[in-house]
Amino acid sequence: MFEALWGWPPPILDPAGPYAEKVTVLAWVLIALAVIVTLIVCAALYVAIKGPAPLKRRLGGESAIWIGGIAFPGVVLTALLIWGLTLTADLTSDITGDEPRIRVTGEMWWFRVQYLDPAGRVVMEDANEIHLPVGQPVVLELRSADVIHNFWVPHLSGKKDMVPGRTNLLRVQADKSGQFGGVCAEYCGGPHALMGFVAIAHTPADYARWQQGRMARLATANTSAGPGRQLFMASGCGACHRVAGTEANGLAGPDLTHVGTRATLGAGILPNHRGTLMGWIGDSQGIKPGNRMPSYDMLSAAELTAIARWLEQQQ
Amino acid sequence: MLVTACKPPEEPRYVPDSTLAEQGRTVIEQAGCAACHVVPGISWPAGRIGPSLKGFDDIGLIAGAVPNTAENLAAFLRNAPAVKPGSTMPPIPISEEQARAAAAYLYGIDGDV
Amino acid sequence: MKSETGFDHALYDRFPTTRPRPEGELAELEQIWCAPKGWEYLKAVNNNYIGFIYVVTALCFFLAAGILSLGMRVQLAAPMLDFLPQDTYNQFFTMHGTVMMFLFAVPMVEAIGVMLLPQMLAARDLPFPRLSAYAFWAYAVGGGFFFCSLFIGLAPDGGWFMYPPLTSLQYSPGINTDMWLLGIGFIEISAIAGAVEIIVGVLRTRAPGMTLDRMPIFVWAMLAFAVMILIAFPSVILCTLLLELERAFNWPFFDPTRGGDPMLWQHLFWFFGHPEVYIIFLPAAGLMSMMVSTIAQTPLVGYRLNVLAIVATAFISFGVWAHHMFATGMPRVSTGYFSAASMAVSLPAGIQVFCWIATLAAGKLRWSTPALFIVGAVLIFTMGGLTGVMVGMVPFDWQVHDTYFVVAHFHYVLIGGMVFPVFGAFYYWAGMTSRKPLSETLGRWTFWLMFAGLHITFLPMHLTGFMGMPRRVYTYLPDRGLDLLNMISTAGSFVMAAGVLVFLIDCARNFRFTTQNDAGNIYNAGTLEWLPTGLYSTRSIPLVRGRNPLWEQPDLAKEVEDGRYFLPGSITGLRETLITSPINAEPQYVQLMPGPSPWPLASAVFTAGIFLALTVQAYAFSAVSCVFMLWATLRWLWETDRPIRLKEGDIGGGIVLPITITGRHSHSWWALNATLVVIAMIALMALFGYLYLYGIHPEVWIAPPALLQTAGIAALLLLAFGAAWLSRILLARSALGEFPGQGPWMSAAAGAVLVTLALYWDVTGWLGAGLQPTATGQGATVFALLAHQGMCVVTGIIMAAYLGWRSGRGLLTGPANVTLDVVARWIGYCAVQGLVASLVMRLFPGG
Repeated sequence: MFEALWGWPPPILDPAGPYAEKVTVLAWVLIALAVIVTLIVCAALYVAIKGPAPLKRRLGGESAIWIGGIAFPGVVLTALLIWGLTLTADLTSDITGDEPRIRVTGEMWWFRVQYLDPAGRVVMEDANEIHLPVGQPVVLELRSADVIHNFWVPHLSGKKDMVPGRTNLLRVQADKSGQFGGVCAEYCGGPHALMGFVAIAHTPADYARWQQGRMARLATANTSAGPGRQLFMASGCGACHRVAGTEANGLAGPDLTHVGTRATLGAGILPNHRGTLMGWIGDSQGIKPGNRMPSYDMLSAAELTAIARWLEQQQ
Repeated sequence: MLVTACKPPEEPRYVPDSTLAEQGRTVIEQAGCAACHVVPGISWPAGRIGPSLKGFDDIGLIAGAVPNTAENLAAFLRNAPAVKPGSTMPPIPISEEQARAAAAYLYGIDGDV
Repeated sequence: MKSETGFDHALYDRFPTTRPRPEGELAELEQIWCAPKGWEYLKAVNNNYIGFIYVVTALCFFLAAGILSLGMRVQLAAPMLDFLPQDTYNQFFTMHGTVMMFLFAVPMVEAIGVMLLPQMLAARDLPFPRLSAYAFWAYAVGGGFFFCSLFIGLAPDGGWFMYPPLTSLQYSPGINTDMWLLGIGFIEISAIAGAVEIIVGVLRTRAPGMTLDRMPIFVWAMLAFAVMILIAFPSVILCTLLLELERAFNWPFFDPTRGGDPMLWQHLFWFFGHPEVYIIFLPAAGLMSMMVSTIAQTPLVGYRLNVLAIVATAFISFGVWAHHMFATGMPRVSTGYFSAASMAVSLPAGIQVFCWIATLAAGKLRWSTPALFIVGAVLIFTMGGLTGVMVGMVPFDWQVHDTYFVVAHFHYVLIGGMVFPVFGAFYYWAGMTSRKPLSETLGRWTFWLMFAGLHITFLPMHLTGFMGMPRRVYTYLPDRGLDLLNMISTAGSFVMAAGVLVFLIDCARNFRFTTQNDAGNIYNAGTLEWLPTGLYSTRSIPLVRGRNPLWEQPDLAKEVEDGRYFLPGSITGLRETLITSPINAEPQYVQLMPGPSPWPLASAVFTAGIFLALTVQAYAFSAVSCVFMLWATLRWLWETDRPIRLKEGDIGGGIVLPITITGRHSHSWWALNATLVVIAMIALMALFGYLYLYGIHPEVWIAPPALLQTAGIAALLLLAFGAAWLSRILLARSALGEFPGQGPWMSAAAGAVLVTLALYWDVTGWLGAGLQPTATGQGATVFALLAHQGMCVVTGIIMAAYLGWRSGRGLLTGPANVTLDVVARWIGYCAVQGLVASLVMRLFPGG
């Protein structure tokens, strides 16, 4: 079932990892400062307009400008700046090199995910979902295949652009298990509003089990059967989608090797079960207009059911 | 014909519990039913794979198979092929309570929509 | 006070004069500045008309963009609505931002400047009235067509900032993007023309005695505004041209696979984009300062601090642009620097806010509609400024960048810092140009509806951003906790719209345009724009002795009207104003002003035709438009620089000054200087692009042509510079009014030929070395610079031909001539620009 990936409280004030938490502290202090200064200015305006004569006189000279406009902000802003600079340094401190690495490539309008081994080779492919172990930093290599996108999972970290021609590194860490929603936060045309993903944090034991399960699945032959498999190939799906261990080898669209276990479909916009799989394949244009997959509305309901049943087995 | 035309509009067959119906709406949104069906009151998506659910509460049979009652509908939503063999609507992973809420919402659709 | 120009300040004691003015002097002045009738309104150049219609046009764009925002808010009122489908919404938000920033905000403050500056300085008009007319018509025609692209579904849809690669041909194949690039690029010409004029106007046409220290704050603000435009706008003109070149001719500035970089666009755009918002804010802050002083009925407290704040803001704002790029993966050192600069730039804004508060405290506030807008603006702007400080902190920005939090921030600063002061200004200065003042009752309704509407719309957006809603989305999913917040914002937007509607009703009921019997100084202000005026501005140009002349000298208005100050009539029988020195405003000479003319309108229409035709790829039409534009412009220029009978005249009190001058001190020299700054900035930003791409992709760089060739090109350019210089020297040998022969003209023409040859050699040299503009980032930037040089050279050739024609008609007489000065200096500049650009590209990084 599709749990709400986020709602109240605001994700920016509800950190689930150390990098987000330090920023949340900063956010609260900034909010408090902003409110206080607004109240001070309101009070000053009130005094200036309606206040008693001696107070008005004090406020009505150049010294008020020196204090209110130069001295006070100068001190506060300097202090804030020092905090900001040190926090930035802290959040971007040198990456040690032995964190697990995931390469996430922004595409129009989904996220290609590739898990890397320490040598930088791709060992597992997925889409619109990243899995992390709790309590450990993970480094994301952010790239783009076309236009500028952005990767943002507010519960875990600030955002970073995915710029074609470059690789940006972003460190994330979850300190509790759960599912954390994310979005693309740089306008990329078309259905940018419907480009999201999920970050799933497991306890270390669960993470190890998940990883082993996936690698084991990739190591054995793909013996999943059913009329859906033939239909999938016959309909040309393999031209865009890859399912490891079959003749489907396409790289244009999301990798479907593990689609059965994915939390969402369509890049974070639909829950994942047989019904929505059928609906997506049958009418993806109606759901996410302009996306790169055509609607397969020539397939009958029975055919869609068969394909969806086969895809459910791709775990 | 004139006489039939003057007949007052039919009362809705059921008067659903509106709180349950509101919960049902959330269930429908979260389960992604609209990926395949046009569901009145839900503007996105508006799937065309399955039949539109406009005027659902006035229909006599669910999928032309079983009588359109709250109990049958809840069971159908959770496992359509079990209720109607050969149905191409797949089982939807929702609990009994969620299914009842969704059914309540669907019965609140008056057909005027 | 020490004299700046040698003018004897003791002469000031002759004013106000006491002898009665001659019969018919005033009638002659009225005749010379008479009002247009019927179709003549299209030929008008007087700032009373141009300024007013400029303001009205800018207001129309505000309303249009506002309606777009209402459409956007309806679409976002609930999740997954289908009121505006995806593509339409993407066009709507792009146009809302683009029209508000380019067609409303900057033009509105520029328009208010055109209306008010001559009056505040007691000048008869801006120094180049036909240029103002041209600027207005170019903006109105170009902007109108640009907006109409919405009605045919071809409006740009890449966001107001149009980032490539999304806006490259591959991902935006339609002409929507070209609409933006060519349409907006051309409208910037209008802004720059206005800026040149404002600089010359503020520095050289002030009333005598109005030293820099006595200038109204709005005048200081407009000076900063204009200088900032000269430095910032070339950057956006360049990047729009580069993207258009990439789309049309495949020159890979932003394509990373060929040595370009999408980030280059961001640097160029934001180098313009951040100063742009201060360009919008500073004049409005200047208006605030003046209105605060009047509603508190006391001189502005901290005048010099306020001036310092304006200048400091102008400077520092150029150093903060990459705070829009904190999330792009810049090195820590860069983000740290830009964060520090962003903190720093908020300080001067705080100084201004406290100046206003202190002034209110020092005086006694009289409530009125302008007073409401002022107090409201202070509060709103402060809140916006504070969220600005918040997003200046890099780690916090990493969370809220590109979310609705930022949308809330900039609407607070823009509405509080510009829209509210401008609406206050409408009420405050309406008395200058309307027979009836606007209604105080309706004004209060306008204010409270707008104030409440603003907060209801944008205050929740801070939270919406915290809830994770990104920007530029046409809808949102239903389970994210965004529903109620968005619904509230939508309701608020209609409240604000209601306020604007009340304002329009007020205008319809009460505003009656007039140039003769306006409602007057209803709020009892102290500055010169409230002197009694006619179409000729003030009857005589007063001597200024303080910052608030109407408060300090109660009889000033009467004395001015009786003609007891400078220039109480016309000396030559033509339109005139007084040119004064930049620092102390000592009278220097009398400037002849042009009267109504249809040529600026024609030239503007044809200029618009060039760019709009290019947008739809109607190349033949564009070329024809270009020919007509050149003809209209040269025809317009032909009437300038005529020999005048009278060489000097009595400006009042027996003081005799020259009538127009040439050379370093003339206002025309200064205007050309300002224009050359713009051209140089374009070249400089292009050079930056060259160096930047080299820094990112050095691997695509090939070796330059041989050193010998470089030396040859340099030699040609130096010769060209010499030839241009020589032309002025040759002319100086003739006596006054004597025709010098063909020497001066041919020397200038020789200069033009030499820069052309140098350019030709440069281009063929690079092609011969194996560089193609479509090949790599190096090719693209090198040929872009050569293309820019080419534009300048072609202009120089046209100018030299024009000069030859004038010489042939005997209009080029010694010892100095304005047209020759402009042409020779332009060609000389081309030579220097070509030299610097060529040397940099050929010597760095070298073979």
